Amino acid sequence: MTTTAAVTGRRRWVPYLLMAPGGLWLLIFYFVPIARLVEVSLQSGIFPRYRFTWEVGNYLRLFTDFLPHLQRSLLYGLGATLIGLLIAYPLAYGIAFRGGRYKNLLLVLLLMPFLMPFLLRTLSWRIILADNGPVVEALRTVGLLGADGRLLATGVAVVAGITYNFLPFTTLPIYVSLEKIDRSLIEAANDLYASPVVAFWKVTFPLSMPGVVAGSLLTGIPAIGDYVNAELLGTPEQYMLGNVIQSRFLRVLDYPSAAALSFSLMLAILLILIPYIRATGTEDLVA
Amino acid sequence: MRSVPEELVTTAGIEAVPAVRLDHVTKKFGDFTAVDDISLEVGENRFFALLGPSGCGKTTTLRIIGGFEEPTAGVVYLHGDDVTGLKPYRRPVNTVFQSYALFPHLTVWENVAFGLRRRRFDDAEIRRRVAEMLELVQLTGRENQKPGQLSGGQQQRVALARALINHPRVLLLDEPLGALDLKLRKEMQIELKRIQQEVGITFIHVTHDQEEAMTMADTIAVMNHGRIERLGSPTEIYEDPKTEFTASFLGASNLMEVQVVDGSAGRVALPGGDELRVPAGRLPAGERKAKVGVRPEKIRLVEPGSAVQGNTVTGRVVDASFIGVSTHYLVKTAPGQEMAVTVQNLEDHRFRPGDDVVCVWNPEHTFVVR
Ligand SMILES: Nc1ncnc2c1ncn2[C@@H]1O[C@H](COP(=O)(O)OP(=O)(O)OP(=O)(O)O)[C@@H](O)[C@H]1O
Ligand SMILES: [Mg+2]
Repeated sequence: MTTTAAVTGRRRWVPYLLMAPGGLWLLIFYFVPIARLVEVSLQSGIFPRYRFTWEVGNYLRLFTDFLPHLQRSLLYGLGATLIGLLIAYPLAYGIAFRGGRYKNLLLVLLLMPFLMPFLLRTLSWRIILADNGPVVEALRTVGLLGADGRLLATGVAVVAGITYNFLPFTTLPIYVSLEKIDRSLIEAANDLYASPVVAFWKVTFPLSMPGVVAGSLLTGIPAIGDYVNAELLGTPEQYMLGNVIQSRFLRVLDYPSAAALSFSLMLAILLILIPYIRATGTEDLVA
Repeated sequence: MRSVPEELVTTAGIEAVPAVRLDHVTKKFGDFTAVDDISLEVGENRFFALLGPSGCGKTTTLRIIGGFEEPTAGVVYLHGDDVTGLKPYRRPVNTVFQSYALFPHLTVWENVAFGLRRRRFDDAEIRRRVAEMLELVQLTGRENQKPGQLSGGQQQRVALARALINHPRVLLLDEPLGALDLKLRKEMQIELKRIQQEVGITFIHVTHDQEEAMTMADTIAVMNHGRIERLGSPTEIYEDPKTEFTASFLGASNLMEVQVVDGSAGRVALPGGDELRVPAGRLPAGERKAKVGVRPEKIRLVEPGSAVQGNTVTGRVVDASFIGVSTHYLVKTAPGQEMAVTVQNLEDHRFRPGDDVVCVWNPEHTFVVR
């Protein structure tokens, strides 16, 4: 009796033991910095002397000075995520269901551009979207863009950049969840009078939801916080909250307001996330 | 889809139209021929079994009937209509898949209602029929569970209900009992047979278990290497398998090489010279040699010198195993062959290894194989 008790006792501890390294990592590099971030966000003073004074005013600046930036962060970030999903889903579907023996090659091709440094990739979009570049010329010719219309230095360029840069993170999880679907389920749907289109909406798509949710989270969260695309492809007119935080931290050296904005952005993302995950209810699907 | 010609509907002739007809159907995957020129007919309301070893083309044949696979050559008819190019969702057949293929994201109720919903039945009708169907397969009360929460046997019944609820004219079943343990399998065999008789639908049942095929089906097609080796009722194909493959696939068959003494009289001789008799007409005309067999349970063992009638072969018991309902003997015969003999335990006397015996059987029970 005592031995079984000892064994079950040990068994109960093993999972925690296995979690310990990760937990410790999170504690040191996540919870501690966040606590520190909150602390800094409530400081006041002039560089380099900031003191903790419960300065709530740092947070209010989001609404007084930086509300447009927050709005742009959400608009560009969520817009790019949505467009990314619309591009990534057919892409992942094509590779998973029609890729045949070229599946792996196609996946490599998908990732190939991302062997190039992030900065270079984004800069090359400046050439693609340049005022006399091929895209603008083409759009002007078909009349979608006025004679002096431009793409670079507009919100369109920023959203395009973000969409492009995060595309693999949207595509891969969707691909994995599509690839996992048992093909006989689709045959079963066909057998039960579902045409290919109906079978897609009733079987394939619901079963790929975990991938859609994972892909949109992997893209959406960093996209909302992104600043590189707005900086390289836009102007201060397109700056997002990320740009403000970056300049507050590194140029203005106003740590308290930078920290307050960072923390606010985290909360904003969390507020969007919770209802999204609730609504998509992926926990049902993986069971 | 072409409809059945008018005169067939109005006369009794409708019964002559088979539910399923395959006409010289061949399926190739690259160079490999999975189904090799199969022709068969399955009558209305039959329980038809496709029986054969793994890889012989059973699933492929079934998938051709269901429309999941296009035949390389040949024509598929359902109730007289050529459906060869027709997509699965336009065929009046439903399938119970080998792995069940239940939709994991839908509840039992939604799984069963799936086909009716696609065909836009009204809600009240769907509710009524799903309830009825779940009752038939004894799953009432499980409506809101997901397939993942059910046992293998329950999942199997959901798969059956999901197909049957559509009142298909033909139900295709691909080894539906393969994943169940022996006891449950036996129960479900009886259950499936009961349901088939109750709903009066043609069942085409794929299995590699000869006992299952014989218990359930009224017609069996034995397949081997993409071809049909033997087609007939369970008793027909068991008693007169006609091919060596069918004979041994359906159980022990004690095959013996013999010389034909007088073909028309059904007289053959074993290598030692002993003569056997075979039902006249079973021997192929003009052949000097033949292969004959007899099932173990048709043979009696007697002591040498007993007065007996019928085919006899002398030998010596090499092994005897008592298994309750019967005793299995292995007898080494004079021509140097081993014969399996199953004897019911009607008498107290049992033979022991080393005993000299005579194997006796009714000549009617001797079959000839190619
Ligand atoms: N899509 C395919 N491509 C290539 N070969 C195939 C394909 N489907 C089946 N085959 C081959 O055809 C043969 C028959 O397959 P099938 O699935 O019909 O066998 P089966 O009789 O159902 O066997 P089992 O009892 O193992 O299910 C096998 O040798 C298989 O490898
Ligand atoms: Mg099979």
